Amino acid sequence: MDATTALADAPTAAQHSSGALKLLHMDDVFGMIFNIESATKAVQIALMILIGLIFVGIIVTLIKKISGKRMDSRTGGFLVKTVQYAGFALILINAFKIANIDLSALLGAAGIAGIALGFAAQTSVSNFISGIFLMYEKTFAEGDIVTVDDTTGVVFSIDALSVKLRTFDNRFVRIPNETLIKTNVINVTRFPLRRQNIKLTVTYNTDIERARTILLQTAAANPGVLRKPEPFFMVQSFGPNGIELFLGVWFANPDWEQANNGMYLDIKKNFDAAGIEFAYPTMTIYPKKS
Amino acid sequence: MWRQYDLPTSEGTRIHRAGKTVLYVAVEVAGEGEVLAAMVSYAEDSGLASRRKPKVPISVPPLDSPTWSRYFMGTSSTYEIVPGYPQMPVCIKLREPFFLPPAADLRGWIFSHVEARIVVGGSTIASYPLARPFKTLYGIPEAGIVCRHDEADFLASDEPVIDTMHEDPGLVAHPVRLRNTSPDPVLVNELCIYGEQLSILGNGTRMQSERLLFMFSGSGVRMSLEGQTELPAGWTQIARPRVSGEERFIVRSIELFRAMTRM
Repeated sequence: MDATTALADAPTAAQHSSGALKLLHMDDVFGMIFNIESATKAVQIALMILIGLIFVGIIVTLIKKISGKRMDSRTGGFLVKTVQYAGFALILINAFKIANIDLSALLGAAGIAGIALGFAAQTSVSNFISGIFLMYEKTFAEGDIVTVDDTTGVVFSIDALSVKLRTFDNRFVRIPNETLIKTNVINVTRFPLRRQNIKLTVTYNTDIERARTILLQTAAANPGVLRKPEPFFMVQSFGPNGIELFLGVWFANPDWEQANNGMYLDIKKNFDAAGIEFAYPTMTIYPKKS
Repeated sequence: MWRQYDLPTSEGTRIHRAGKTVLYVAVEVAGEGEVLAAMVSYAEDSGLASRRKPKVPISVPPLDSPTWSRYFMGTSSTYEIVPGYPQMPVCIKLREPFFLPPAADLRGWIFSHVEARIVVGGSTIASYPLARPFKTLYGIPEAGIVCRHDEADFLASDEPVIDTMHEDPGLVAHPVRLRNTSPDPVLVNELCIYGEQLSILGNGTRMQSERLLFMFSGSGVRMSLEGQTELPAGWTQIARPRVSGEERFIVRSIELFRAMTRM
């Protein structure tokens, strides 16, 4: 197309594009969206959201402060999150109300979506509800040492869906709350003290009274062993390999490691000094006389 | 023993004795400053050890031994040894327990061991118990308190304890009052003391605390200070309480509330 033809067609092209604009009624659409009323509503919504967020922020800060002093971190965290989400939901509902958006249709759709989501997020919901039960039961708190199945570790964090442990070999373990509800959980540090059960097998030629005296003296000399409850000694049985003895000594939780090692080392040292032998599996064989 | 000392820069290891316990202090030069090394030893070792006197004198471990604790002195050239109560409560087991009849009001004395604190420039850098620090439980295993264990005789007397009772400078005397408000006789076999509420009053080598009131009731036993009285002539306050009675009361109340509600 040469320049002369293009110039000649220009008025026709302009007429076509003007027709397209008329077809879309663009002037009316812009007029509908950007009028005084809608601008006022937008400002109202923005103000409501701003004030609402500030209000929620103040309440959450207050609850954080109060719960930090009065509640454990898990309960406090849960309360803060609940208040926070409830506040956001209220702000959202208010925003829709100001914008004259009918929520009934939206809620209906949300209900259907909720059912679908519920099926999809069944495990997460189960974990969340289990978390609420765990929180209510107060089985453990952050910093406690717990054993779940074969895993033992320090409770690192307690969250809505799972509990995180740090094992003693410094591994990170995530345990879903649902598992914690279903399985046996041992909280090792729930009480301020623990009893160490020391089981020993000594040879049959051992003077049991002497062994008892040495064991109780060893316990009495260990600064980590509590004087009360008193150490407990018992002859458990005459076993297949020797006399089975039991010594129960109580330690305060922080002293556990040191006192436990000290007890075993001292028992070995004192038994060796007294000539008391530990028994090991033995078998007596009689030659058959033909 | 309870006073300020210059660093033992030219005399080897300095020995501070408190009864059967010995506190060793030595000094090492570290660059432009000095390092104070301290350790404690207790005469009564384990029950398995021989009671005979050792033929050779007890030797102090070399300064590079882990038995010593070290503290950089900075510019300070002095240290002070001051008495203090242990951080944890002290549970004093009475050597001769007795029953306190209903409505009884008995006054007497008990003793407990203090700790020797090494203070440099106003800050405590180390604290050593002056008796081997055994522990015990006060209460029941699921809700008791782990305490420092101590043993003492109960001296049923309203009169001040005489000087000979204070032979061991590591002991502090506690005037006590025992009241039984329950309708039944109670066995008094141990008394638990919260040292952080108490001061240490000194007169020469003697040390004592304020009078303590132990109230035995149907719900248990409660320790409190029996009012603050003026210091007797010649006595001075050598250690202040770490927390006030009111503060302690609030903390205890919150602990009790949390124990009851598990919140």
